[in-house]
Amino acid sequence: MSSILVVDDSKVMRDMVVACLRGIPGVEFAHASSGLEAIERLSLAKFELMVLDLNMPDIGGLEVLEFVRGQDLLSKLPILVVTTRGDEASRAHVLAAGASGFLAKPFTPDAIIAEVEALLLRGTGPAS
Amino acid sequence: MSEGADLTEFVAAYLVETEEHLGVANSQLLAIEASLRKGESNPRALRETFRALHTIKGLSSMVGVEPVVEIAHRMETFLRDFDREGSPLPTRAVDVLLRGVRAIGQRIASLGSGTAVAPPPQELITEFDTLGAPLPQDQKPLLDLDLEPELLAKLAPFELAQLRTASEKACRALRVDFLPSPARAAEGFTINSVRERLAGLGEVVKALPLAVPVSTEAPGGLAFALLLVSDAADDVIAQAVGIAPNAVKSLLARSLAVGVDPSERALPPELVEDERPGPRQAVVRVDVRRLDDAMERLSALIVTRFRLARAIAELGADGADTRAIQQVMSDSARELRDLRAAIVAVRMVPVAELLERIPLLVRGLCRHTERAVKLELEAGNAELDKAVSERLFPVIVHLVRNAVDHAIESPDERVRRGKPREGLLRVSCSSRSNTRLELSISDDGRGIDREAVARKAGRPTPASDQALLDLLCIPGLSTRSTVTTTSGRGMGMEIVKRIVIDDLGGELELVSTFGVGTRFLLRVPLTISIVDAFSFECEGQRFVVPVSTVEEIVEIDAALVSYSPMPRGDQPRVGIIARRGKAIPLLMLSELFQLGPPRSVTAKAIVVRRAGQPLAFGVDRMLGQQEVVIRPIDDALIRSPGVTGATDLGDGKPTLVLDLSQIGAAYAALEVAAAE
Amino acid sequence: MSDLHVVFEVAGASYALAVECVRQMDSFSGATRVPGAMAHVEGIVSVRGRVVPVIDLRTLFGHECVPPTLDTRIVVVERGARVVALRVDRAREVMKLDPEQMQAAPDAAALPARGFVRAVWLVGARLLQVIDLPKVLGEDENSHENYRHGFFDDGARDRRALPG
Repeated sequence: MSSILVVDDSKVMRDMVVACLRGIPGVEFAHASSGLEAIERLSLAKFELMVLDLNMPDIGGLEVLEFVRGQDLLSKLPILVVTTRGDEASRAHVLAAGASGFLAKPFTPDAIIAEVEALLLRGTGPAS
Repeated sequence: MSEGADLTEFVAAYLVETEEHLGVANSQLLAIEASLRKGESNPRALRETFRALHTIKGLSSMVGVEPVVEIAHRMETFLRDFDREGSPLPTRAVDVLLRGVRAIGQRIASLGSGTAVAPPPQELITEFDTLGAPLPQDQKPLLDLDLEPELLAKLAPFELAQLRTASEKACRALRVDFLPSPARAAEGFTINSVRERLAGLGEVVKALPLAVPVSTEAPGGLAFALLLVSDAADDVIAQAVGIAPNAVKSLLARSLAVGVDPSERALPPELVEDERPGPRQAVVRVDVRRLDDAMERLSALIVTRFRLARAIAELGADGADTRAIQQVMSDSARELRDLRAAIVAVRMVPVAELLERIPLLVRGLCRHTERAVKLELEAGNAELDKAVSERLFPVIVHLVRNAVDHAIESPDERVRRGKPREGLLRVSCSSRSNTRLELSISDDGRGIDREAVARKAGRPTPASDQALLDLLCIPGLSTRSTVTTTSGRGMGMEIVKRIVIDDLGGELELVSTFGVGTRFLLRVPLTISIVDAFSFECEGQRFVVPVSTVEEIVEIDAALVSYSPMPRGDQPRVGIIARRGKAIPLLMLSELFQLGPPRSVTAKAIVVRRAGQPLAFGVDRMLGQQEVVIRPIDDALIRSPGVTGATDLGDGKPTLVLDLSQIGAAYAALEVAAAE
Repeated sequence: MSDLHVVFEVAGASYALAVECVRQMDSFSGATRVPGAMAHVEGIVSVRGRVVPVIDLRTLFGHECVPPTLDTRIVVVERGARVVALRVDRAREVMKLDPEQMQAAPDAAALPARGFVRAVWLVGARLLQVIDLPKVLGEDENSHENYRHGFFDDGARDRRALPG
């Protein structure tokens, strides 16, 4: 069973992500509604993948990325960043900060499934 | 692979959540405006507005509402520049932003009602270009905070300033560290709950994650540094985080020297306890229609229980010992009552939510009328059925609008009359009992000139406030042009009366003293039930029946109705009609209800199902279909099987709401009795 | 309790009711009939948004029912959580009555009235009867006859006592 942590302060958005990914065999989901909660959950349980929004209260997704990549235990966690900023510059910026994958909103169910399945198969940290 | 992931099913949730974000954007923009008036910037409110818009943009893109994405995007990029520089917004910008929020709201509402979503207003979007760019702010390094440099580097200039100037607000800038662990989580201490508890004690300026060596206390190698500004005592703060009081650290040693003694300022712990919001509870959002559906199913259950009770009574009459079963029946009655109460409770929304939109309304009105108004809102913890709340809102808007438009004098006039420049408008509510909510809307304006109202109406001067209210509620009496200058109460009082009294079954009271002020008092039921119903007529009496209980409505050809033999002439007759090749019984409602002499012709029949079998009721004519508010018939004198309540079809007289299958059941029971 | 009473007439006799019980008085132009209600329950009316039963005191007191006139009033009474309208022939006066002068209703009068009259007042030449509100409102189980319109029963009554 692969555990996926879905991080977004919008419940509708979290539900949408889960609805898209529910069809992948052998996955289960946990939610976090803020960057700090995401970090807390990552430090207390093992996850195979994190789907991360950038725009959140307290600390944003980029700060979460930065912190997580600085932790030995979490440096290999696959992280898919989902964001409204879809331009090339943002993509480069996010990948440089340590994201494993990048998906711009709006996305289709097929697009996020493809990204997640690829990351779960690869099972590694930052995109090279 | 993507089957079942159709995102359009999220539209309802989208509507609810975006409404919340729009509410945040509105209130934060008002906060920014209030700060600007005091010559201050409000970077935190600016960031919250930015975030709300950003979330709306993301969600809207997923649901495919392009016009909203475009508006939100323009507003967001405008705000981002100011957020980055930490510089105050130009005053005019708040207004343009509020219009933007409104434009988004309108488009989301269109989506909700299934009408076409208007394209983005280009004029508004280009107006942002004219608002100017942020001025660079001087950012002096603030090195007087007792923080590690790597944490210090993560604080925005406004956050640093907020910590440094805490003492000006008689608060202290503090730091507490929270170490998350499964054990702490089991005791209810997680980063979310800790942060929320701290938010009740002051303001959490920043929370940052820190990597720490793995230990028993920090099994995940993680700590959170929470930086806050608060006037609470160390032990209160420590309790909120679940740590020792001496672990609460001051960020500014100097703040104590300024003369704030925290132990004196802090409230006694037990008082703080009461005011502190508890850990946030999980909230599920549900479409009201689903709740209505659940309630309808419950009603069916109650009818079944009624039939069961009858069957048991018959067994008892035949000599069976039914005591044990009676006990079970009375338990089930109690459980059904509890279940009903539970469903009703689910439908309740906080009144505070209903009043949330009032500040924005008052602000807009003040600008138009050049009034200065101080608004006091007091919603407490009262709750109201969502359906009542939706109907009540236009009433509140009317009364608030009248108060600002007509009752409260211009600032100059107020000063001349020896009143404070700013008028006072108070909207407060309380649940006076388990069944009614009392809402008061009062102002200290010019009051109502009874004589002027009487002259306009061509009636004698009302002797009491009640008589004055009756006069004001005469339809068509008070048009804006005639009453504005004389009475101070203008439009829509008859609408207010119709909603409060006729629709909701509430009460309306007025207390007005000329020259001193006016107070409207509304008492409304906490819940109402609404159904879609057919109305029909029988021997001149009108009735309604819920659409959901009706299988179909058929024409009756009098020549094709045959009547079964009736050995005893005083019984209501049973006719037989053919429906899709099947004979079904027909009962004449006018005969069942003894509304008039038996007649041979009836035009229409309403077909319902009873115990799985179709049963037709002959009526004179169908009148229409509409949503009706059902009022309970709770006095024992008028409780009758088959009559589930009363409603008002607009003539001020109650009309009975019928459950025809229950009437069929009562009739069947009678037949059994007659056969004995 | 003040000594103020609302005085009303039913079939030529005058009755008094303490003002504390009276919520309001209204003109009356008809009620919505409720099938299955007892004969003296004329139906329901809406009083300030609330659905309340109307008791026709003429029928309850054993007189012939007549159509409403311009004088017909409903006296809306409040008792605990209940609100009930009493239909009377006319109601025009509020009188101050001295409790000292109240007399118990003579047995010969009280018995036929089935206890609806509690006491009488002699004010000059007038005789005012004091009605027993709980009885009139049917709070005493046996005060109302088991007669109902139509064929209904409400489960609490013996079916066989119904007409038909």
